[in-house]
Amino acid sequence: MIITRKHLPRRTFLRGLGTAIALPMLDAMSPALAAPARTAGKAPTRLAFTYIPQGAIMEHWTPTGTGAGFEFTRILKSLEPFRDQTLVLSGLADHNGNALGDGGGDHARAGASFLTGVHPKKTSGSDIQAGISADQIAARAIGSKTRFPSIELGLEDMRTVGNCDSGYSCAYTNSISWRGPSSPMPPENNPRQVFERLFGAEDLSLDPAERGRVAKYRKSILDMVREDTRKITNTLGSSDRRKMDEYLYAVREIEKRIESAEKDEQQVVPGIEKPAGIPVTFGEYAKLMFDLQVIAFQADLTRVTTMMLGREGSIRTYGEIGIPDPHHPLSHHRNNAEWMEKLARINTYHVENFAYFVNKLNTTQDGDGTLLDHSMLVYGSGIADSNRHTHEDLPMLLLGRGDGSLKPGRHIVYPKDTPVTNLFLTLLDRMGVQPESIGDSTGKIEHLTEI
Amino acid sequence: MRKHYLGAFLLSTSLVCLAAESTPKSTSAAVAFAKSVRPFLAKNCYGCHNARLQSGKLDLEAYKTAPSMTQESDRWEDVLQKLRTGEMPPKGIPRPAEAESKLVAGWIEKELRRAELLAKPDPGRVTARRLNRSEYNNTIRDLLGITLRPADNFPQDDSGYGFDNIGDVLSLSPVLMEKYLTAGEKAARYAVFGPEPMKPAMVRYQPPFRRKADGTGGTTYKGPQSYTITDYDFTGLTMPSAVHFTHRFPVDAEYLFRCTPAGQRPGGSEPIDLGVWIDGKMVGSKQVDPLSGDGGVADISGQTREVRVRVPAGEHWVAVTLLRQFDGMPAEYGGLNPSKRAPAVRTFTPPPGATPDQIARFEARRAAGLNQRLNIHNIRIDNAEIGGPYDQLQGPSAESLKKIYVCGHLDGRHLAGCDRKIVTSLARRAFRRPVTPQETDRLTGLVAMVQKEGDSFEKGIAVAISAMLVSPQFLFRIEPETAAAGDAPRRIGQYELASRLSYFLWSSMPDEELLRCAERGVLRQPAVLAAQVRRMLKDPKSRALIEEFGGQWLQTRALESVNPDRDRFPDFEDYLRMSMRRETEMFFESIVREDRSILDFLDGKYTFLNERLAQLYGIPGVTGPEFRRVDLSGGERGGVLTQASVLTVSSYATRTSPVLRGKWILENLLNAPPPAPPPNVPILDEEAVGTSASLREQMEKHRADAICASCHARMDPLGFGLENFDGIGAWRSQDGKFSIDASGTLPNGKSFRTPNELKGILRADGPAFAECLTDKLLTYALGRGLERYDKPTVKSIARRVAANDYRFSKLILEIVNSLPFQMRKGDRGKT
Repeated sequence: MIITRKHLPRRTFLRGLGTAIALPMLDAMSPALAAPARTAGKAPTRLAFTYIPQGAIMEHWTPTGTGAGFEFTRILKSLEPFRDQTLVLSGLADHNGNALGDGGGDHARAGASFLTGVHPKKTSGSDIQAGISADQIAARAIGSKTRFPSIELGLEDMRTVGNCDSGYSCAYTNSISWRGPSSPMPPENNPRQVFERLFGAEDLSLDPAERGRVAKYRKSILDMVREDTRKITNTLGSSDRRKMDEYLYAVREIEKRIESAEKDEQQVVPGIEKPAGIPVTFGEYAKLMFDLQVIAFQADLTRVTTMMLGREGSIRTYGEIGIPDPHHPLSHHRNNAEWMEKLARINTYHVENFAYFVNKLNTTQDGDGTLLDHSMLVYGSGIADSNRHTHEDLPMLLLGRGDGSLKPGRHIVYPKDTPVTNLFLTLLDRMGVQPESIGDSTGKIEHLTEI
Repeated sequence: MRKHYLGAFLLSTSLVCLAAESTPKSTSAAVAFAKSVRPFLAKNCYGCHNARLQSGKLDLEAYKTAPSMTQESDRWEDVLQKLRTGEMPPKGIPRPAEAESKLVAGWIEKELRRAELLAKPDPGRVTARRLNRSEYNNTIRDLLGITLRPADNFPQDDSGYGFDNIGDVLSLSPVLMEKYLTAGEKAARYAVFGPEPMKPAMVRYQPPFRRKADGTGGTTYKGPQSYTITDYDFTGLTMPSAVHFTHRFPVDAEYLFRCTPAGQRPGGSEPIDLGVWIDGKMVGSKQVDPLSGDGGVADISGQTREVRVRVPAGEHWVAVTLLRQFDGMPAEYGGLNPSKRAPAVRTFTPPPGATPDQIARFEARRAAGLNQRLNIHNIRIDNAEIGGPYDQLQGPSAESLKKIYVCGHLDGRHLAGCDRKIVTSLARRAFRRPVTPQETDRLTGLVAMVQKEGDSFEKGIAVAISAMLVSPQFLFRIEPETAAAGDAPRRIGQYELASRLSYFLWSSMPDEELLRCAERGVLRQPAVLAAQVRRMLKDPKSRALIEEFGGQWLQTRALESVNPDRDRFPDFEDYLRMSMRRETEMFFESIVREDRSILDFLDGKYTFLNERLAQLYGIPGVTGPEFRRVDLSGGERGGVLTQASVLTVSSYATRTSPVLRGKWILENLLNAPPPAPPPNVPILDEEAVGTSASLREQMEKHRADAICASCHARMDPLGFGLENFDGIGAWRSQDGKFSIDASGTLPNGKSFRTPNELKGILRADGPAFAECLTDKLLTYALGRGLERYDKPTVKSIARRVAANDYRFSKLILEIVNSLPFQMRKGDRGKT
C-alpha cells in the first residue's frame, strides 16, 4: 500500500465543499510567518538530535586527516557546502551499548543508551529500565520557556509487540528519548499528527471568544479529573497509586501547556499545508518531518527535538535509490562487497536528507543570524560497525554554532573510549543546562569551542 | 567394572523403593531423596552440575535435602523439564535408563506439587489497567454508539509477556494524555452533534509490485497454472490484474473511487468493464472502450473511470478488478464470447514528402506490428484512488441519541432533571459502576457552567462526556482496596468482575445485562456466570478475542510488516497477505463458535480458503473470492502450524528458518521458550543455501557443539519438520537442488518423518498444549504476567479442560472461575 502525499488538485478541493478555504501555499516556508516578537536579546539556542540506526560503513564515513581543511568523505559529501558549520567527531563511544554480560541485544542497547548513557535492563516484560536522556534533561530545564518542552519524531511505525531484540522489550527500540528510567517518550511518526499537535487540531478559523471557551472547558475538565484522582487515590494500593501518579503528572503537563498557550497570544501561522498523511518515499517523508522541525524552531514552539530516521533493527527498504533489500539484514554484511556498497549508499542517502534540514535552517532568518547559527544539531548512532555490533568510534556529527561559542569546520578525533555523553553534557552546558552528569559521562569534552 | 555393577544394582533397588511410595510424607520424602534421588543425580548430573563447574549456572550438589529443593522450585521445574524431554544429560554423556529417569522425575514432580499445595493460595494482583488502543475504540463505540476510532492516532501501546494489555507495562505519557483530551472532545462532539464535516482528501493505492503474469496463465512462481483464457475467475478478484487493499473510511459518506487501468487489448475487442468491490461485493462498475489505435491495439492505459458509492465508516477490504478480462476479444485469440466488431483499421497516411522507399518501410513495419500477437495477459488495474468523504451524513446517529438521551426526549425538549438523568446514566456506564451523587453533581455542574457561558444544553452534555472520557475512572480499570489492611486475598466486587469479563471476551465495556447482573449481586453465582460467558462468546463482539488474543498469540499481527523477497517469492502480494490473515482468523473463530477442541489448533483437518489461498496451497476445486470451509484430510496441512500466516511470520524475507519455526512452536504451543542466543554467533552463509549445501546440512553445526545443541536440539528438529513449506507457506519438495528431508528426532527420542507425524507428536501431549494455551489466555485475561503461585491454577485448569474433551468454552469458563480471576491479593502496606 502506498499513500501519496497528494497536492490536491483544485477540482477536488472545491468540489463538494460549501465553504471556501484558503488554498494551500505550495511553498514550504513563507517568510510571512508571524515571527514572535521576541524581546531584545540573544536568539535562543536550539538542540536537535537526529538518530540513524545500525551505524555506518566507517571507512567511507571517517575523514582522513584532522583539524580544518579535512576531506569530506563519500557519505558526508552532501554536507560539504556547510563545511564551516560542520564538526565531524570521531572516537566517541557508547559503552553501555556493549553486552557487559547480558548476551545478545546490541541494537536495543544502542538505541536505549545513546542519549541516556545507561545500560538498559534486559527484559521484555514490564520492568523496563533505562535512564533519563540528554534531550529530556534539557527539556526539563528550559522547556517551560516554550509551548512544548520537547518534540519527539520518528519515521517508523512497526506494530511489533513484545520482544524486539534478543530478549529486550520493544520499548527500547521504539524511542531514544526517555523522560525517566521507566518512561520512554514515544515518537510521533505521522506528520499530520505532528502538525495538529503544533498548531492545534481545531480550526484556526474559530473566533477568539470561542477558542477561549474551549480552553475554559478544558481547564474545568482537568480540574475535575484531578479532584477525582485525589479522591480515589486513598482507596488504592501502592502499585495503583504509582499509575495515578503517572496520570497526574501527565495532566499537570497539559495544564501547564494550556496556561503558557494562553499567555502566548500571537497566532502562529504554519506556512505549509497540513500534511495529508505519511508520504510515499522515505525522502519525502524525512524532508516533511524536517520541515516541521524547522517551523517548530522558527516559531519557538520548542527548542529541543529528537528525530529517529529509523529505529534500531529497521528493515526499511530504500526502493527510491534502488535498494530493495531491508536495512537490518543488509547491515550484517559480513564483508560482502556488494552489501557494503548498498549500505554505504543508504548511509549517504540519510546524510543527504539531513543536509536538507541543515540547508533549511541555514536559509531561515533567526534574529541576527540564521537558525543554523543558533542550533546544535547532533547526528549519529549508538552503533559504529553494524556488522560487528561495535559501539566505539561512533559516527557522530555536530552542526551549527549553538550559542555562538562553538567553532565548527573541523574533524576532531577524541581519545579512545571518550563517552558520547560527554559531548551531550558539553552541549547542554551551551544551553545553560548543567546536570552533574548524564549516565556514564565523565565530564565535558574539549576542543569544541577552541581551535 | 565390578564396582560399577554393584553401584547400578544398589541404585536400581533403591529406585524400586521409590516406586513403592504411595503417599508421600515429608520424612519418607527425605529418606527417598537421600537414598535414591541424590545417588541418581550424583551418577548422572554432578559431573557437570557440581560446585566447581556449575554448568548452566546450576550446582546440583548444593541441594542436600528435599526441602532445599522445594524452596527453589523454579530451578527444579527446569530440572524436571529437562529430565522429561530427555535434553539432559546432553548427547555424548551416558544416559540413565528410561525407567530410572521416569521414577526420579516422578518423585521430583510429586514433591513440587506437594509443596505447592502446602503453600497458601495466592491470587496475585494486577495493577490498574489502562485501556489500550483497541479497548478504547471499542468502549467508545459501545458507550456512545459512534464509529469514530480516535485511538488509531494514539502512540503504540507497550507490550509485555506477549500482549499489549498488561497493566504494569502500559504507560501514560503527557503526549498520550493530550491525545486523550482531544479524543474525548472529538468523540463527545461526534456523539452529540454528529461527525464533523471532513475535508475530502484523496488517497492513492498502487501495489509496489504484482505477480508477474507469464503468457501461460501461470505465474513465474512455481505454482500450478492458475487459469486459462477460457477458464478463469470472471470477477477478476483472483487474477494478477486486480488491486487489493484495506482502507479505513472515516465516516459514513459517499466516496469516489477513481480507477486507472493499464495494458492493451487487441484492436476490435468489445469494451471491457472494471468493477469496484467492497468486502467481496461489487458496488459499481464502469465500461472502458478506447478507440483502437494504430497497430491494431486498443490501449486501455490511463483510461480512468470513476465510481461513486456510499460506504459505511470503518475498515473495509477494497478491490478493483477487470471483469471478464479475456472475453470479447477477436476470434483468433480463442477467448470466450468473441468480438462481433470489425477490426479497426486506420488508413495509413504517409507523411508528406516521403519517398516511395520510406513509405514501403513504414508499411512493412506497420504490417509486422499488426501481425505481432499482443500479450493479452498484461492487462491490469494500475492504481486506485479513493476520494472523500462527500455528502456526509449530518447529525448524531439514532444509536447515539438512544444511548445519551435516556430521559426519552430525543427531540431536544428536555425537562428539569433531564441533565441529572442523562449524566448519571452515562457516567455509570463510562465508569462501569454506580456513581455517587457528588460525582453526578460535579458533572451537572459542568453542564450548568457551559450553559452560563452561552452555549447550548447539548454542548453542556458534550463537555460532561469529554470530562468522563479523560477521567481515570474511565481510562483505567481500577479495583480499589477494601478497608482490610495487609495483603490478604479478597473476592473482587461484582462490577469489577463484570469489567474483567467484558474486557476479556469483548475488549470492551460491560453491556447493560452484565451491569444489571452486577447490580443484583448475582454475577458470581456459577449458573449465572456460566450463562453470561456463553452469551458473551456467542455475541459478535467476541470477535475481539479472536483478533486481539489470536493476533498476538499466533503473531499474525506481524503479517502486516513482513516483506518477503520479491525475487524469491514473486507470488506474494497484498491480496495474499490479507487472505492469509483471514484464514487464520476464521479458523480461530470456528473453534470458538463451534466450541471445538483446542487440540484442533494443532492439527484440525480443515480450514477456510478463497481461490487465491487455494492457489498457493495447490488445492484444486476452490474457485471464487469467498472464503469457504475446506476439508484437509488426506493432506499434510491442518492446524495453525501449516497455515500460511504462521509459516510466513516465522520465516525470513529470503528463506525459511527452522530455528525461527522451532522457536515459534516452543514459545506459542509449548510455552517453553528457549533462552536468548549467546553473543558472537557467526551468521549462516545464505548464498550457499540450496546451492552448495542444504539448509539442514548448514545447521548441523548447531548440533556439533554441545553448548549450542542444548537448545538447538530442541528447536531445529521442530523447524525441520516444517521445511516442506517455503517462506510464504507453499508446499515444496525441493530446496534449490536438494530434496527436502522433513524428518527429525526430538530430544526425548520421539521421531517423525512428515509434518503430520510431527503434529501427531504435539497432539499426543495434549496436557502440555492445554497448559500452554491456559497460560497465555490467563495472562491475557488477567493483564499481568503469571508468577510461580499461579502454576497450580494453570495446571488444574488444564487438567479439567483435558477431562472435558478440551472444549474451548470449558477453558474460558475455567479461567473465569479461577482463583486469580475471581480474587486478588490486597495491596495495603502495613500501616
